[in-house]
Amino acid sequence: MKIKNQIKPFWLFLIFLVFPLLGFAQTITVRGIVKDATGETLIGVSVKVVGTTGGSITDLAGAYEIKAPENSKITFSYVGYQTQLVDVNGRSTINVTLKDEDKSLNEVIVVGYGTQRKEAVTGSVASVNGSVLKEIPAGNITQALQGRLAGVDLEQNDTKPGATLQIRIRGTRSLTADNNPLIVLDGIPFSGSISDISPDDIKSVDILKDASATAIYGSRGSNGVILITTNKGVKGAVPQVSYSGYYGQGKAIYYPMMNGPEFVALRKASGRYTANGSDEANDVNTDWQSMFYTTAIVQSHDLNVSGGNEKGSYKFGANYYTNQAVIPGQNYTRYAIRGSIDQEIGKYIRVGFTSNTNFNVTNGASLGVGNVLSQSPIANPYNTDGTLKRFVQMPLDQGFVLTKDRIENLGDTWKDQKKALGSYNSFYAEIKIPGVEGLKYRTNIGANFNFSNAGTYTGVGVMNATATAASSASVVNSYTTDWAIENMLTYDRSFGKHRVNAVAMYSAEQNFNNYSTISAINIPTDNLQFYNIGQANASDITVNPGKDANFVPYQGYSVWGLESLMGRVMYSYDDRYMISGTVRSDGSSRLAPGYQWHTYPAVSVGWNMNKESFMKDITWIDALKLRAGYGQTSNQSVATYSTLGSLNTAPYNFGTTYSTGFNVNTVPNSKLGWEYSYTYNFAADFSLLKNRLSGTVEYYITDTKDLLMNVNLPSTSGVSSYTANVGSTQNKGLEISLNGVILDNLNGWTWEVGANVYKNVNKITALASGADQDINNGWFKGKSINSIYDYKKIGLWNTTDADYKYFSTLEPGKTSTVGMIKIQYTGTYKADGTPTRAIGPDDRQVMNLDADFQGGFNTRVAYKGFDLAVVGGFQSGGILVSTLYGSASYLNLMTGRRGNVNVDYWTTTNTNALYPNPAGPLSGDNPLYGSTLGYFDASYLKIRTITLGYNFKQKWLKFAGIEKLRLYGTVQNPFILFSAYHNQSGMDPETNSYGNQNQAVNSYNSRTLVIGTNTPSTHSYLMGINVTF
Amino acid sequence: MKSKYIKSLLGTALVSVFFMGCSSDILTENPRNFYTPGYFQTKAGILGGVTALYANLRNLNGQAYYFNSCETGTDEATWGQSADGNFTSMDYSGAATFNSATSPIGILWSTVYSNINTANGIIENALIVNASKKGTADTIPGSLITEANFMRAYDYFLLVQRYGGVPLDLGSGILKFNTNPSRTSVRNTVPEVYTKCIFPDLLTAVNTLPVTQRFTGTVTKQVAQLLLAKAYLTYAWWLQNPNNIPTYPLCDRTDPNGKDAAWYFQQAYNLATTVIANPGSYALQATYYDVNVGSNDRNKEMMLYADHTQLSQQYNGGSLTSGSAAAPDNFAGWMLTWNYPTITSSGDGGATYKISSVLRVSTQDLGRPWVRMAPPIGVFTNTFADKTNDSRYDGTFTTVYHANWPLGGTVTATSLVNANGMSVVPGAPILSFLSTDDPSIVYPPAYPDPLAPGKSSVGAGTMPGRADYVVGPSAISRIIYPGLWKLGPYRTDNGTGIGNPNAGSTRPFPILKFSELFFIAAEAAVKGATVTSVSGTYANDGTAKGLINIIRARAGKWRYSNAQNAVVVADNSAAMVAATPATIDINYILAERSREFYGEGYRIFDLRRTQTWANVAGTYQICGVKFGDRTVQTVTRTILPANYLDPIPQAQIDGMDMTATEKAAYQNPGY
Repeated sequence: MKIKNQIKPFWLFLIFLVFPLLGFAQTITVRGIVKDATGETLIGVSVKVVGTTGGSITDLAGAYEIKAPENSKITFSYVGYQTQLVDVNGRSTINVTLKDEDKSLNEVIVVGYGTQRKEAVTGSVASVNGSVLKEIPAGNITQALQGRLAGVDLEQNDTKPGATLQIRIRGTRSLTADNNPLIVLDGIPFSGSISDISPDDIKSVDILKDASATAIYGSRGSNGVILITTNKGVKGAVPQVSYSGYYGQGKAIYYPMMNGPEFVALRKASGRYTANGSDEANDVNTDWQSMFYTTAIVQSHDLNVSGGNEKGSYKFGANYYTNQAVIPGQNYTRYAIRGSIDQEIGKYIRVGFTSNTNFNVTNGASLGVGNVLSQSPIANPYNTDGTLKRFVQMPLDQGFVLTKDRIENLGDTWKDQKKALGSYNSFYAEIKIPGVEGLKYRTNIGANFNFSNAGTYTGVGVMNATATAASSASVVNSYTTDWAIENMLTYDRSFGKHRVNAVAMYSAEQNFNNYSTISAINIPTDNLQFYNIGQANASDITVNPGKDANFVPYQGYSVWGLESLMGRVMYSYDDRYMISGTVRSDGSSRLAPGYQWHTYPAVSVGWNMNKESFMKDITWIDALKLRAGYGQTSNQSVATYSTLGSLNTAPYNFGTTYSTGFNVNTVPNSKLGWEYSYTYNFAADFSLLKNRLSGTVEYYITDTKDLLMNVNLPSTSGVSSYTANVGSTQNKGLEISLNGVILDNLNGWTWEVGANVYKNVNKITALASGADQDINNGWFKGKSINSIYDYKKIGLWNTTDADYKYFSTLEPGKTSTVGMIKIQYTGTYKADGTPTRAIGPDDRQVMNLDADFQGGFNTRVAYKGFDLAVVGGFQSGGILVSTLYGSASYLNLMTGRRGNVNVDYWTTTNTNALYPNPAGPLSGDNPLYGSTLGYFDASYLKIRTITLGYNFKQKWLKFAGIEKLRLYGTVQNPFILFSAYHNQSGMDPETNSYGNQNQAVNSYNSRTLVIGTNTPSTHSYLMGINVTF
Repeated sequence: MKSKYIKSLLGTALVSVFFMGCSSDILTENPRNFYTPGYFQTKAGILGGVTALYANLRNLNGQAYYFNSCETGTDEATWGQSADGNFTSMDYSGAATFNSATSPIGILWSTVYSNINTANGIIENALIVNASKKGTADTIPGSLITEANFMRAYDYFLLVQRYGGVPLDLGSGILKFNTNPSRTSVRNTVPEVYTKCIFPDLLTAVNTLPVTQRFTGTVTKQVAQLLLAKAYLTYAWWLQNPNNIPTYPLCDRTDPNGKDAAWYFQQAYNLATTVIANPGSYALQATYYDVNVGSNDRNKEMMLYADHTQLSQQYNGGSLTSGSAAAPDNFAGWMLTWNYPTITSSGDGGATYKISSVLRVSTQDLGRPWVRMAPPIGVFTNTFADKTNDSRYDGTFTTVYHANWPLGGTVTATSLVNANGMSVVPGAPILSFLSTDDPSIVYPPAYPDPLAPGKSSVGAGTMPGRADYVVGPSAISRIIYPGLWKLGPYRTDNGTGIGNPNAGSTRPFPILKFSELFFIAAEAAVKGATVTSVSGTYANDGTAKGLINIIRARAGKWRYSNAQNAVVVADNSAAMVAATPATIDINYILAERSREFYGEGYRIFDLRRTQTWANVAGTYQICGVKFGDRTVQTVTRTILPANYLDPIPQAQIDGMDMTATEKAAYQNPGY
């Protein structure tokens, strides 16, 4: 009763509010048909009278009917088409033809703190819209972006579920500071993982590549900026519910291991293990991989609701994504919710709020295939009673028997789980300053929060050949907060032919992170896992105050802040001449007091030549713009507290008296300042033949100076390193992007092709104190940062070789000679042609890993409702490092000691082989110079995905209340061509690990991406549906 | 009304946000999870610095690759079957190239300078702290500071023996705490290193250190006296240079203090005998077995060691369950351990001998096998020729492998069939290395016959009536040889299982022993030092023979036999003393040192000091790398005079910012 009484006045209020609108002008009924440019009727077009809340949509015949005041305006809007505004003018029949959304130079580009018509952009900005990204169903946008954009190199460094790709925009600049681009989500610098953003939410991705474009992001933009804009509700749109989802299955691409008979032959050829291990027999042929892998499953479901009224709009959505890897027990699941609201308050104020929150769970990330691959294929995994053995005994090694069944039956005895909650929120308020047209004040506030809990537990003897191996547990709890505030004044106005857009801004941000690690051995029962490590004996518990082997602290704490002042003016005259100038001043907490602030400028100009009178007669050119830019950016991405020096901890026991010692590890550098990049960018954008062919050609030079480097000092200095501004690098590159429309709705057929190709030449131009090389870090002046330093294999020694007479000079003391790896000798020769010395460390050479050129291509063919899209990528030149074939993964020992990759090795009857004589000399456990076996030509051409889709336009949709319906199927990784590595191994020629991961002995710099024993790549098939109600 | 309210609220929020953003303390850093170098100028920081000096002992002592650089290439060890380039290169036999990039020779260099700098910092900062905290409890006692002097001298003494003259200035001046990122270096000469650092530091230590330990294992006056005596002895040899071995950087062999070799030999003698007569809390153990048995670790004979513990993973510095094969783990013992779990017995005596009867267990006789190093046959036929009276053979090696299969929990049989189809029970010998070759040993066919591994799977033989497999000394090869019992693991937490055989050893690794004083004094006496009789517990006539006989008499005492795995009480002291030659020469001292300190990382220093390396270790004999390969090979080493100094590691040369000429001049000649 009481409630009812309260509600009544509210309804009355509402009626009064709406009544004036209804009773204003004469209302008539308007009818009509809405078609597209091809004459097809459009079903489900939103038809609305401006200024009202009601609306209608077109039916199966494209017809609509709406009541509208005589002098009102009606909007027609439909996804993929330009919204049209029509004056009623008393007409009762209004037929409308909607134009496709224009994909020409008039697109609007997000340039950071504002947008710009593509025609007027002067910096280097590459854009992809969300619908293109959706052609590749992927867990995160890095996979969908791969090969799409010239100059944006996305390389795989992990194949586990939930992994993202490494992004390098126009090469690697910095030697030890961060090289990752800044990600900006809906205007606010994004501190989370890119995998936290569901690709389905993304409206567009704009990538700022040159300094004139990134200058506005200052020090955070030196490695390029990725601006991600998510979908928002549309003002005045009727409520829409949409769902998109897909489901797919994948099969592992097997690592190319020897089978039983091949392995028996290898062991015999090697002659090192004359007796089989006790679990081995020559007639056994075990395929360990097939006993291990499961079917990969990926599924994604997105549900969105959006709508709007006259003064505001909203969009809410939820996403569920899960990916089970081919490794059992290894999976990633993400639950995300997202909401955005925009609201106008009165005439001058607009406020909005966006929130992205996700919770994700990663299981089994520590599982790899290294152990499985190293198992002898002639070892029998089963006991006589049919049960699985705990381990198999090979001649020297015991290999724990790890199969799918075993992992699935671990129960409480094993757990490896990370749970993370991330919440990324931004709020803005915008005020139009009354009295000054075009002047606005805006404030953005971002607040992010991240929590994760990662624990591992391994029970007694689990994953260990030793049944009594102690149980162990560890847990890491991490907490991150991050806030940013931006206060901005913008002035945007046209005066005749003059257009001015000016921005002035002050911003500040601060990031806080703290994490703690606790570990213990001998956990009393499996049931406890890592949830109460305190139950272990005190002496078994470790809370390590120091750092791990990779110098990562066990207990982490960092706070960093950045303060900035910035101004930018973009001016254009007659849309012909454009100039943009930016000045930004940044202050960073990471640098030494007195060196914290730096100011840098950027300027770029553009000229739309086609608008000049002398171009009028050249009708085949629709648009031609020349651009040039120069700018300075900087990088402060050294670790926090780098200027302060640090003490190492050294725990010690004096008998049973425990004590923690300290020694100086890093010396302070009170002069640590900014690292600068100077970029020149020259480009031409063109659109030809009635916009059938468009593209961009860009050339750039980036010089990076005062590199922030962790300089390793010689031992005699008594301290291991310090962080300093030393050295310089250069990146030069050429980028070409082309988009063509080959068939433009010819008899219903449309065929579009896009391609990009780019080349980046990276070079270290100076190292610390004029040094020419820093072998320990793998840096060489005049060479690429991405180099390896090793011997160069030029073949195998055969007695028939012309130079065999020099064998004993080059390889003294080697007794097994034939079939051994032949190394290129770089020393001098005596007068008679004899080498003056033996092969030694001086013969190591710098070898560049970078591709000569690389790129991607895509094509789309559409006919009626069908469309077929193919996306591919390619690379020419460069070196691919496969640790499987080299010496790091211990899978090409060639001695028959354990599982071996299937290689074509030297025998007396196969002297032309690629791989050495298994009986030849060893270095450690590997063939002598075995690392040289892991280098392959990195060239490849690969079709990444093929998608066949069908858009329903049938009449039954209307009856089902469906506005749009699309079904599609996708094949991932279907073809690989021109890849030497694929031809030999059958594997994917793309890297899957950092250089210090997924190997038996991690042997490369982390920056060198390699193929290791990570989760196998898959061939996958997906089915998906997109539906809008 | 409502919108006005919202506006004012918004306005307030905006203004407050603006000012919040303006606060400039977001540019100030304050680390909270580690110490900055400033902490090193407090009492607690300096105490921590001293602890770090001890902790850093682990980075060398017990580090297997450094151990390798002290043993492989001497008469005590060569490379083993599983050796990689780290080991073959140190053999000087051409098995792999030896040059400045050879990694084991860089370990000492890359480890000690940071330690030296920490010591510099302690000595320097302690003065500052004591000056500012005068009269308060925050001052640092001199004896504590002097521990840093001791450690600095210890490090420089190692360096000068391996590389010749080394830099005393790390970038901030001679023996000054360096916080400059210095990328240049200048080497001092050998006499400068001794007279400016090693001797003054150790004299300070002798004068200031207490006679009792601050904590278990910390240094005392006596430890400093031992090290100083050793340094005097070594420097005296260097001044004398009997075999004309070159030094570098070039300098005259004259002492800046104006003394000669004889004076230093005499100082070494005097100091060593002083400590023998006044041992303080140190003492010889009753038997040699007691010196090295794990249950008696940290005994009175162990004067300095790099400690470890099985009680705390954190303070042990390495995992208690699986070894990292890197410092600070103590994993040296794995290198001289052959792959004994390969030995097989049979369940029923039928055709298949596939049951591992000796499992890998964390007990002192077993441990983790890496087979990276092997003892040449001469160790067993020459050095340890006397295996009956002298308990040191039994107290150094695992010569008998005893059955332990029940510990694995998988084989439930109470007995297995072993050699000659005879039954064995747990604890019984499965494989024995014999003292002498015996014609009645029946070996399986020799390698490369496919049957070479035999029923034992390791190519061992049988003898009539014996249930254990046997191997004679001449069959010792790079793949099968007695294990190094001395450095084997010892733990009390094995329970009824195999324990943690893959973990690094949780035992302290020995560095300096009381027994060495007798050798130092004896060596000095042999080199002409005037002898005087020694009083006290170890009273003797003070001659080389008198001193050595104290050690030999102790070596004759038995209280336990590892081979028999049983208590064996015997006193063969008289026989041992009787066997001592009338005249003791350097070669005898070296042989005796090897018997006493075999496999503890002393050998390369002894051979280089006495300039006898090429003579003593120039050739060696051993069989091949396959089970059943019993062909004794004689291997010749090429040990050049220049090899008496290790090359300066390539990483140092690469890391310096100097011209090519300067870098070439920095490197030792011959590399």
